[in-house]
Amino acid sequence: MKQLWPSHVRTRLTLWYVAILAAVLVIYGGSTSAVLLYQMRGQLDHVAIEDLETVEGFFAFGPDGNLHLPSEYHDHPYSPEMQERFVEVRAEDGALLYRKERLGDQVLGGNPEPGEGVDSYSPRSVRLDTGTPVRVISRRHTIEGRSTLIRLGFSEGLMWQRFWQTVVGLLLGLPLALGLAGIGGYYLARRALRPVERMARRAHEIHAEHLGTRLEVENPYDELGLLGQAFNETLARLERSFEQLKRFTSDASHELRTPLTAIRSVGEVGLQRDGDSSHYREVIGSMLEEAGRLSRLVEGLLGMARADSGQVKLEQTSISVLSFVREATCLIEVLSEEKGQILSIGGDNSVGVIGDPIVLRRVVMNLLDNAIKYSPTGGRVGVRILRSDATTVAIEIEDNGPGIALEHREKIFHRFYRIDEGRSRDAGGAGLGLAIAKWGAEVHKGRLELDSSSTGCVFRLLLPLAVESLRDPAA
Amino acid sequence: MLSGDGRLRILVVEDDRKIAKALVEGLEGNSYAVTLAHSGEDGFFLASSQPFDLILLDVMLPGRNGLEILSAIRKQGSRIPVLLLTARDAVEDRVMGLDSGADDYLVKPFAFPELLARVRALARRGIADIPTVLKILDLNMDVLSRSVTRGEQPIDLTPREFELLEYLLRSQGRVVSREMLSRDVWKETMRHTSLDNVIDVHMRRLRNKVDEGFPKKLLHTVRGVGFVLKAERP
Repeated sequence: MKQLWPSHVRTRLTLWYVAILAAVLVIYGGSTSAVLLYQMRGQLDHVAIEDLETVEGFFAFGPDGNLHLPSEYHDHPYSPEMQERFVEVRAEDGALLYRKERLGDQVLGGNPEPGEGVDSYSPRSVRLDTGTPVRVISRRHTIEGRSTLIRLGFSEGLMWQRFWQTVVGLLLGLPLALGLAGIGGYYLARRALRPVERMARRAHEIHAEHLGTRLEVENPYDELGLLGQAFNETLARLERSFEQLKRFTSDASHELRTPLTAIRSVGEVGLQRDGDSSHYREVIGSMLEEAGRLSRLVEGLLGMARADSGQVKLEQTSISVLSFVREATCLIEVLSEEKGQILSIGGDNSVGVIGDPIVLRRVVMNLLDNAIKYSPTGGRVGVRILRSDATTVAIEIEDNGPGIALEHREKIFHRFYRIDEGRSRDAGGAGLGLAIAKWGAEVHKGRLELDSSSTGCVFRLLLPLAVESLRDPAA
Repeated sequence: MLSGDGRLRILVVEDDRKIAKALVEGLEGNSYAVTLAHSGEDGFFLASSQPFDLILLDVMLPGRNGLEILSAIRKQGSRIPVLLLTARDAVEDRVMGLDSGADDYLVKPFAFPELLARVRALARRGIADIPTVLKILDLNMDVLSRSVTRGEQPIDLTPREFELLEYLLRSQGRVVSREMLSRDVWKETMRHTSLDNVIDVHMRRLRNKVDEGFPKKLLHTVRGVGFVLKAERP
């Protein structure tokens, strides 16, 4: 079935425009005509009243007892309306005293109405027997002591003629005006929508490989400009995540390749010579270690991918920060004991946060593990909990390791980034620990900061304070 | 319902030949009678025609997948324990697996000791037999009084070391992986590298307390796999 409603926006806009304009013009024309009619009638009444006042003085009773109107009065028509003047005079009892010959047998109203022509001229429109529309005014007048009612009628023919001429003129002009408006509207709509066409053409050219392309925005402040900008921002976001994905994929394949290569070469080398069972045990054990590393890596990657796609649902539990951190520290402190480090923990025990304990625990453990790993044997690791401002809690984890050089400070939060490739792998890291910590901080609307000097680093995990800690800082 | 020689019968449904072979050999090496099916259809046929004590079912199978097989088996009214093997590490899959009537699941890649532990747990299901006095060679543990002795010598353990040793004693002779320890002893929901290091440290300390100064070593590390408490060298 063919759709009757046009599919182009510009056509639809034009149709709406024309329809609304037509409605406006009809209302405007109608009211203009009504006002015109009212004014023309008023004018006619005005002329008639003036004429009546002139004419009433000319009436006189002749010797035959009939009422006469001097004929010279007719010779001075001073307006076109005068040409069609009808006069009728009636006595109080309704007897016809005078009727202008032009009227013939037609009457300008019958017996005098009560109150007719007493206080006003009682203007009204009537229709003669011949069908002529006539405007009639009346006036009580005493001629030579006799009370009479003078009625004066003017044909409305000319007035109606003018009125209809005007109406026809307006009606004839309407389609023309609408036609012109339609053409103009269509042109304007097309012109206004041209940037949309251009944007659409441009958008067609954007592929995954050309995400750098942007739409042209002529005027960033108009509606289309806003649309274009929004589109461009979306593109920018897409491009960023696409880049991230590409980098992640290449990183991941690189990371996976390392343990795979190890498994392969250990196996191949192990098979090169015949050995006793302890030799093969050694080889297989080494391969299994790498396999274990590989599966941990895959697990980490999957976890990251899930976190990226927002699939991780966070539990929201109220957590008392100091005891929470102490618990996490307890679990891991054997590592610092082994290195003869002093692990201290302290700070404000009143602060609480709302968050997922599993995720936050992982964040804290990763940071602690990192601090223990990089502090020297016999060194120290300090954990402090404090309010960094009115709405934020800071968990500071300080080590006295060698610090992190300036060029690495931003990148250490990137996935798989290692300052020292060899060393970190020995320490067993997959290069995901800090990236996970950063993610964990961000999903809790917090952030992870790093201060570093040559005498050590401070990793500062900033989290929004829970409401109850905000209300009562002393609690 | 044991096989003729008293061994538990396990049906393994796994299409990957290498994994299947490893599973069969590993389970047979642990005294189970194993039947192998390479496809879902074969597995379903075997499950409905022969008696088994346990089914090890891979989820990703060609043709009908493991979950379909499982629900077909359950529709027949069978209540045989089923352990699902899944490569998909997604919560939805886990839920779906347990909804469809699986008794337990294991995510690939899994450690073989872990698989053995699950199989043992499922096969033993319903038998409540938890001894409170544990021993291996001359090492004794009384779980109730929380005392440990080796020979005549009492051994002083931290609570964590005690739990660790109890777990090892209960699984004596079998290898336990770090995954199992982190889940069952440390009760951690997520695995992370730092915890592996923590486990290693505790294990080293425990070994010092249990084996140091005794000619017969009990606690052994199986490289790349985990740890085992055993009277003789593995």
